[in-house]
Amino acid sequence: MIKIERLTILLKSFGLFNLDIEIEEGEFHFLLGPTGSGKTLILESIIGLHKPREGRIWINGKEVQNLYPEKREISYVPQDLALFPHLNVLENIIYGIRIKNLPLRDYEAYIQALIRVTKIEHLLKRYPVNLSGGEKKRVALLRALAPKPKLLLLDEPLTGLDPSIKVEIQQLMKTLHQSFHPTILYVTHDFEDAYLLGDRISIFIDGKIEQVGKRDEIFLRPKSKKVAQFLGLKNLFRSKILMLDHTSQRWILKTNGLNFSVPMIGTLSQMEVGKEVDLFIRPEEVMIIREGKPIKESLKRNIFEGEIIDILDRGGYHSVSFQTREGKIPFEISIPNYAFRNLNLSIGKTIKIALRDESLWVIG
Amino acid sequence: MNFRTTMIGTSIFIFSFYLGLILSLFYFVGGKGFWEALINPFTLYSIRLSLITATIATLFAILIGLPSAYALSRYEFVGKRVIDTFLEIPMIVSPIALGASFLIFFNTPLGELIQEKGILFVFEVPGIVLAQFATIAGLATRLMKASLDEISPRYEAVARSLGSSSWQAFYRITLPLAFKGLLASVILSWAKAIGEFGATVTLAGAMPGKTETMPIAIFTALASANIEKAIILILTLVFLGLATLYGIRLTGKVYKYD
Repeated sequence: MIKIERLTILLKSFGLFNLDIEIEEGEFHFLLGPTGSGKTLILESIIGLHKPREGRIWINGKEVQNLYPEKREISYVPQDLALFPHLNVLENIIYGIRIKNLPLRDYEAYIQALIRVTKIEHLLKRYPVNLSGGEKKRVALLRALAPKPKLLLLDEPLTGLDPSIKVEIQQLMKTLHQSFHPTILYVTHDFEDAYLLGDRISIFIDGKIEQVGKRDEIFLRPKSKKVAQFLGLKNLFRSKILMLDHTSQRWILKTNGLNFSVPMIGTLSQMEVGKEVDLFIRPEEVMIIREGKPIKESLKRNIFEGEIIDILDRGGYHSVSFQTREGKIPFEISIPNYAFRNLNLSIGKTIKIALRDESLWVIG
Repeated sequence: MNFRTTMIGTSIFIFSFYLGLILSLFYFVGGKGFWEALINPFTLYSIRLSLITATIATLFAILIGLPSAYALSRYEFVGKRVIDTFLEIPMIVSPIALGASFLIFFNTPLGELIQEKGILFVFEVPGIVLAQFATIAGLATRLMKASLDEISPRYEAVARSLGSSSWQAFYRITLPLAFKGLLASVILSWAKAIGEFGATVTLAGAMPGKTETMPIAIFTALASANIEKAIILILTLVFLGLATLYGIRLTGKVYKYD
């Protein structure tokens, strides 16, 4: 297990205080934070390029914060990859094994397996200058994995790739992780990478870890408004707790004159009448009710009528801007293309939406 | 005259200016006493002396300059700016003043001790090496620093994470990557050492067959109206200079990664 405890880094114009991160062995962990928040600095401190003012770093029970970078067994793929331009692909890959005088024979089968998975057999004799962007990423990943590090640090490795290549490398990283189970700390501002690949995600905002959890916990159940706003989450409504309906065991929240009914189970423990909270519903979780179709009992508590304001075709799905008639509350609704075609929606059309209990999330 | 023509015309003028200067030397080539001057033992000695002392001075400049250049390029430390500024001293102070400073230093108790118990510098061959080293060390450090600045420290960071010590990361990664620039810096420094006059003549004197390097020999030949010898030596310097420049170009062709 990798444990970072109360890490404090102070530079001339920048400081990070008391940072705690825990990564299980074999976990694909994401440190997700805005650009310029000091994520790279954290990585460089873990590697040993910056000496932290305070804090401890444990790798499998061994304290490493006072060790030289070469003694820590942490591989690193920087944003610019830094493939050694004077070495060919194979020499780049086995650099970490050669430099430590490890017996190449012991690693041969493993490296060949890595080469097979990354499909770079034909590139081994080439120099980095003759590789495409995607090929460079593959080689950099392989070079970092070759010496079997205890921790692999990735610093936004998918930046600057064409979308199709990006998808390919994302898939490759998933395969590499599933096949070889390296422990990975991946630093990025890209939610998509984190959502697709992350076992667990740490949200890092304003020098603090705001939330740690599995991807659904993070994206469906943000702990604070700060996290929700950073994740760019739509449908976040400032609401007042109006009352507790003891019969149904549900809270009634009011937003602009519109009442939401939220089950007691799963909501904040410190809920009390009169308190202001944020109610959050993911755009994918908003259901459009088809005319003439029966409505499930569980959906009947939160049904709102309103008008379609705008429709945006986003390629893989459609974004529908909807406004409730009562309270004029704007919702964003994401609908897969096939469902969109069946619903026969158009701007100005009056529709009804329903919210499932599981999709309602209250942030205190 | 349009902009483009003016600019190109100016560049052709500067080329013609130097070429005319070199060609004018050939007016006396092959004249009476020319070939005798070429095989004169003192002429050959000064050529040999210049080549040897400049090479030794350059080796010392690399030995001191390369680690200094690395430190200035990679680390932040107290006094870094002061050191960086001091490197320019040989470029802004007249070489004669530099040589005179050495003469004064060797008259201080410490200087005298070095002369008595260590190596004789004043009016001796080691004095030439010292004068040349003093002139080029700052330049060599500056040029090598510029070459190292071009190599991203990220390469070393990755090499360290893969298991290299800082020494290994330096000689296996940074050194080969910066080699082209470093070699060019060394060649230029060597050429500057060959041509050094002011500090050398002040510290080591101008004794034919002892401390008379090529530039000093040109000066003394002209002073004694020995035009042929002066031309031989000037042409040798020009040839070495052109070979140097060609060498630098060549490094650009050999070490091409990107």
